[in-house]
Amino acid sequence: MQGSTKRMGIMTDVHRRFLQLLMTHGVLEEWDVKRLQKHCYKVHDSSATVEKLEDFINNINSVLESLYIEIKKGVTEDDGRPIYALVNLATTSISKMATDFAENELDLFRKALELIIDSETGFASSTNILNLVDQLKGKKMRKKEAEHVLQKFVQSKWLIEKEGEFTLHGRAILEMEQYIRETYPDAVKVCNICHGLLIQGQSCETCGIRMHLPCVAKYFQSSPEPRCPHCNDYWPHEIPEVFNPEKEREAGVSKSSKKSLRSRQH
Amino acid sequence: MPRGQKSKLRSRAKRQQARDETQGLRGAQVTAEEEGSPPSSPAAGSSQVSQRAPPTSSPGTGDSCESSEGGAQNADTGAQERKPGNSQAAAAGSAQSSRRDPLTRKASLLVQYLLEKYNTKEPITQADMLKVINKKYKEYFPEILRRTSERMELVFGLEMKEVNTSSHSYVLISKLGPSTEGTLSGTRGLPKTGLLMTLLGVIFMKGNRATEAEIWEFLNVLGIYAGRRHLIFGEPRKLITKDLVQEKYLEYRQVPDSDPPIFEFLWGPRAHAETSKMKVLEVLAKINDTNPSSFPSLYEEALRDEEARAVEKSFTQGYKQLCMQ
Repeated sequence: MQGSTKRMGIMTDVHRRFLQLLMTHGVLEEWDVKRLQKHCYKVHDSSATVEKLEDFINNINSVLESLYIEIKKGVTEDDGRPIYALVNLATTSISKMATDFAENELDLFRKALELIIDSETGFASSTNILNLVDQLKGKKMRKKEAEHVLQKFVQSKWLIEKEGEFTLHGRAILEMEQYIRETYPDAVKVCNICHGLLIQGQSCETCGIRMHLPCVAKYFQSSPEPRCPHCNDYWPHEIPEVFNPEKEREAGVSKSSKKSLRSRQH
Repeated sequence: MPRGQKSKLRSRAKRQQARDETQGLRGAQVTAEEEGSPPSSPAAGSSQVSQRAPPTSSPGTGDSCESSEGGAQNADTGAQERKPGNSQAAAAGSAQSSRRDPLTRKASLLVQYLLEKYNTKEPITQADMLKVINKKYKEYFPEILRRTSERMELVFGLEMKEVNTSSHSYVLISKLGPSTEGTLSGTRGLPKTGLLMTLLGVIFMKGNRATEAEIWEFLNVLGIYAGRRHLIFGEPRKLITKDLVQEKYLEYRQVPDSDPPIFEFLWGPRAHAETSKMKVLEVLAKINDTNPSSFPSLYEEALRDEEARAVEKSFTQGYKQLCMQ
């Protein structure tokens, strides 16, 4: 018993509370994560200096490694906000959702997922998803029920809804990227810049390569004349701004109004 | 798809592998150095390794498999022999390590399952847990459960408390005390807890069950009305009949043989696990600016409840010790 306590030596109540709260929220933006970290220090170890977030998380991850879990950092596809979630490393299915949803609900998610991945824009319309309701495994589900289930997915941050269409929430991408790449190796799209899984993004009209919106923002940041990195043709889309957390807080711009400025561009 | 996509993926995977190898080594080093005499050192989960896809998965984990494999080997001597991490060797190593310490592997699986359940706040039954680890490990279940609870406590500060001894169901509660994270932009936090405590108090006062009418009478005095959205509590009816019930803090059921049907509230299993009659009485007393002994019959009942909890606690501790031997 003594030995295992030594092994977990770096885990203090600060780290434990941090993990509990992160788990409760499912996914958190970086700003909230920093506040969470400070809050945990305040409660358990107010005299200590708050460790740099990256080191703090790496330390926790070194302990979680033996449990095949880690705190993973990602970026939202539409506006480049850094997000964090606790993910299982060794899963190859959507098992995290399995405890929350019934068999037919999980199958609905899988169908929506497939439509999203196959789509050109990364969005699947509500109508198209609901039309597949008859093909679901498990108990029969009516379209009305399915609408309600889709809203549940949005509330638990697995899907995002925009104007009647659905795409994957950053959380789903963080947690399921591996599963998605394995299950749909041919249909999956990948960003030309970061090589990560791509659901929403911009594409070159000439050669077809794709890039995440935040990757576009960074890549073309100081280019007066943006050109495709692959075929050198003019990049035909509006270049989004690089996400700046300081700027946003000062401006006090609400998330929803910012989102409406961005439209899907393909 | 643009040309060269596959080769890009492959080269990226190679780059990530190389990156993660060094990271994995570093990570494994931390765990290895801190390890004393580990009976429960993490063995490579071979079933998990085989399920994982090739390169794009985190080879860092593969490395920890390697080094902890050494740990498992020398568990008896307590010495720690670290093999240099190598993700290619991990695949081969995992086949060997599957023979080593499968109980710890199962405990890791169970930890993941419990974490997922923690979020839904549902009680976890022994039957469910056996399904997760595979029924053929049934006789090792107490040991696996012990290792699981140990990790849950050490890493996450979560304790497993049995709420129903007949069906062997447990809830996970935080050892760290209530989380007053009202500073976060989330919707959880203190106000619900405050209301919950007073609701539990009303139920206790009315003889451990309160009809829906009695509850609303109390809430109306506080300015909370069914169907009228409250600034802090949201829609109150949904809160008390659905949200708090789903989180197992309250039980909401029809009064037996009531015609027309009347509904009543009782304490839910989670309320019993996370608080006590005495604690709730203390809150009640505070609100009324007095002390618990001013409610003699309630106080007596709370005292008896404290006694029963003390007995149960010593019994569970004794049982745990028995299991560990």
